[in-house]
Amino acid sequence: MATLAERAKSLRPSASKMALDSVGPVVLAIGLTLLLHFVVGPAVGHSGTKILLDMGINIVLAVSLNMVNGFTGQFSIGHAGFMAIGGYTAGIVTYYGGYKLFGTTNPTGGFLGAGQWLFALSCIAGAVTSGFFGYLVGLPSLRLKGDYLALVTLGFGEIVCVLLTQSGAVVPASGIDAVPAWQLPYHVGGAVGFSPLPFYTNLFWVYLFVCITVLFAYRLKESNHGRALLSIREDEIAAEASGIAVTPIKVRAFAFSAAFAGVAGGLYFHLLGALPKPGELGFQKSFEIIIMVVLGGMGSVSGTILAAIVLTILPEVLREFSDYRMVVYALALVLMMLVRPQGLFGIREIWELGRERRKKARGSR
Amino acid sequence: MTTLVQTLIDGVALGSLYALIALGYTMVYGILRFINFAHSDIFMLGAWFSCTIAGLLGWAVGTPPTWAFIVVLLAAMAACGLLGFIIERLAYRPLRSAPRINVLITAIGVSLFLENFGQLPKIFGNTPTKMPALIPDIALGSFAGVRLSLVNLIVIVVAVVLMGALEWLIYGTKLGRAMRAVSYDTKTAALMGIDVDRVISITFVVGSALAAAAGFLQAAKIVAVQQPAHVSWVQLGLKAFVAAVIGGIGNVRGAMIGGVLLGLVEMLGGAYLSSELRVVYVFTMLILVLLLKPEGLLGKTTVEKV
Amino acid sequence: MSAALHVDNVSIAFGGLKAVSDFSLTLREGTLHGLIGPNGAGKTTVFNLLTGVYQADHGTISLGSQRMNGLKPNQIARAGMVRTFQNIRLFGDLTVLDNVRIACWSRTTTNTLAALFRTPAHMAEEAAIAERARELLDIFDLLPREREQAKNLPYGAQRRLEIARALAMDPKVLLLDEPAAGMNPQEKIALRGLIRKVREQFGLSVLLIEHDMGLVMDICERITVLDHGEVIADGEPSAVQRNPKVIEAYLGAPNEED
Repeated sequence: MATLAERAKSLRPSASKMALDSVGPVVLAIGLTLLLHFVVGPAVGHSGTKILLDMGINIVLAVSLNMVNGFTGQFSIGHAGFMAIGGYTAGIVTYYGGYKLFGTTNPTGGFLGAGQWLFALSCIAGAVTSGFFGYLVGLPSLRLKGDYLALVTLGFGEIVCVLLTQSGAVVPASGIDAVPAWQLPYHVGGAVGFSPLPFYTNLFWVYLFVCITVLFAYRLKESNHGRALLSIREDEIAAEASGIAVTPIKVRAFAFSAAFAGVAGGLYFHLLGALPKPGELGFQKSFEIIIMVVLGGMGSVSGTILAAIVLTILPEVLREFSDYRMVVYALALVLMMLVRPQGLFGIREIWELGRERRKKARGSR
Repeated sequence: MTTLVQTLIDGVALGSLYALIALGYTMVYGILRFINFAHSDIFMLGAWFSCTIAGLLGWAVGTPPTWAFIVVLLAAMAACGLLGFIIERLAYRPLRSAPRINVLITAIGVSLFLENFGQLPKIFGNTPTKMPALIPDIALGSFAGVRLSLVNLIVIVVAVVLMGALEWLIYGTKLGRAMRAVSYDTKTAALMGIDVDRVISITFVVGSALAAAAGFLQAAKIVAVQQPAHVSWVQLGLKAFVAAVIGGIGNVRGAMIGGVLLGLVEMLGGAYLSSELRVVYVFTMLILVLLLKPEGLLGKTTVEKV
Repeated sequence: MSAALHVDNVSIAFGGLKAVSDFSLTLREGTLHGLIGPNGAGKTTVFNLLTGVYQADHGTISLGSQRMNGLKPNQIARAGMVRTFQNIRLFGDLTVLDNVRIACWSRTTTNTLAALFRTPAHMAEEAAIAERARELLDIFDLLPREREQAKNLPYGAQRRLEIARALAMDPKVLLLDEPAAGMNPQEKIALRGLIRKVREQFGLSVLLIEHDMGLVMDICERITVLDHGEVIADGEPSAVQRNPKVIEAYLGAPNEED
């Protein structure tokens, strides 16, 4: 049989296939982002926009956690810790960096102005820092499995919160010049949280990052790299025997997942009305993200998105029952494990499920 | 020197609490091989039940009788034992043959449920409460500045008595032999005529009762009882799990040793380094143990069969 | 004829218990070699040693001219020695096609970034993987079921899928751990033909653990017999069959009846 490389030479994709599968979705994603920002946002008003922003951030969080918990079958329960790391890094960049660049800690420039680009850069900085910590947390996965690993991730998340609580008070704009630059990252607000950060987060940036996250997750899953992750989730020994370098791949999954959580942190911290306190980013927050992944389906990108959307809207609609929100979530989690442990969509995407059902119906006829 | 002795006493008292909670974790892990995340909430409920029961019996005001604390302790243990039984029956038993990750998620769900249900306004509410003073806050003796309080003594004595009773149950009775057999090999134990479901139920009852005792002691010790979904409960519970891991998960004696060891480390670190970073010491210790000696101090290694 | 696999005096003990001691074997290029022995003789342990699941206490394992000692299972698979499992280890929730595609991973060259941007090179490679996987599935008569979840396949088909997955790695040496276990007689006959066919087509050397003596004697050109972790016989099927030690290992010592 011919080798893969030889085959690949004769299988170069046609221009139309490239347009449809590769470039098309990207164009579509940018279009959707602009549509949300310029048309949907103004139409739904302030409170609607707030829900859309929360929804987008939740999608980034849930889809990124799915890369570890769903695709790779490891169980992380410290996702909020990565979010915190990303958020604080981004906050340092926009608050102190913004002051150094623009001489003010307030938002600078309009849509796609200098301040917004700094903000985008800060989210990427958050992603890099968080991704690095994700790599570190992933390292124990070489030796630990299942709930032990879960415990390490939980411990990590808690340590992050405790350490952040110990940080110094935010330096007001008037005093920044008096503090040596290298000391500034220490002053991120302690237990009261990092504020006042410039509120840069808007629909454009949130959904741009949502699109990047979703495209990344989906294309990863559909590629041989993603299948390698899935094989680890299915059977680690068989994966190893099938030539998969299990260890580095697992660690990489952790790093990717953490990086996107870091982006979500950056977006969340620059959102008007959000509470970037260390205490708000403990395991309660991690659990909320886990619930989205578990309900949507561990391994299903579209299922997780759907769960994130529903679980963002539902509490807004049922505001008078807010006391019962977590009780209901918890019950849903337990019932799901009893009735449909793979989540609503399991490993499949929403459209694949329909296809399967049709096929089954055809077969039984 | 004075600080050191005081810290050691406090460390042992704290460690005894960890040990009591760790026992429940380790027994369940030994048999069912999963972290019962809801265990820390049983501990929390142990404290809340204690408050509620003491209040119902009218001991929240005035000076309760000396034996009051024993009544409350036993009542809280019974209530949590029953709760543990119900949880196992409804949530965990149907998943006996399910993948471990599903059981883990269920345990997280049960944990969240207990916290948030307990926090509902009609149940315990979402504000801290005060534990009735069943044990007077007196010092038994002061030697060169070292204070041994009655509460600390009772904490240590109750913990030692309960652990002794457990030791006897597991190593001295027929039921204990069945528990050890089930933890060693569930299938073979079943073939030998052991009623595995019953043994697992009893394990949950015993573990939950011990956690309730720890909850009572904790409440008696610090008087303020935090709201059910407060971070501190889960943190305490997790520290206890860390103690179980350090001692060797599945190993009852290991849990006791690990608990005391962890209490000492935490108190010493708190006294000599920084008291704010206690969680950090504990989890650092966990990560070190998991990386260097994952089977724990008294545990045994297991090899996956290919 | 040169040796595809050369195992020299390999031993392993688990907590004082010698599971395999001084195991030696030469798998000649292009042969079908049987590894037999009573239950608990250590056959699967040998496979685990060869594929890096266990590390040998001493002794050497060479694939062609390359030393395998100390390598991880995935490196050994990459080097060209792949296996199937006695208790079938498929990626159950994934489709039949995915099971085979996954095994192509170690031969791919484009990285994750290329996957994100879906570069032409990446898409060409994905197409190549799919094409190759489908060819393999076709050989094993699994193509019509490519979209089904692997766990839903009947037992015999699962065994065939495992072999197809192993072949996707372009192996030189294929280790089959009881491929006929649980198969019905018709399936066994088909499997016999299939093993011969893939050996020819892919130029493989095959080491086969099997309890079905009919199958082993029929297709193997050489047989090694293992008992209590030690090699007790090695040679042509007809010679091994007559070997008194082998008869004793399988049937018990003859003097017990006297």
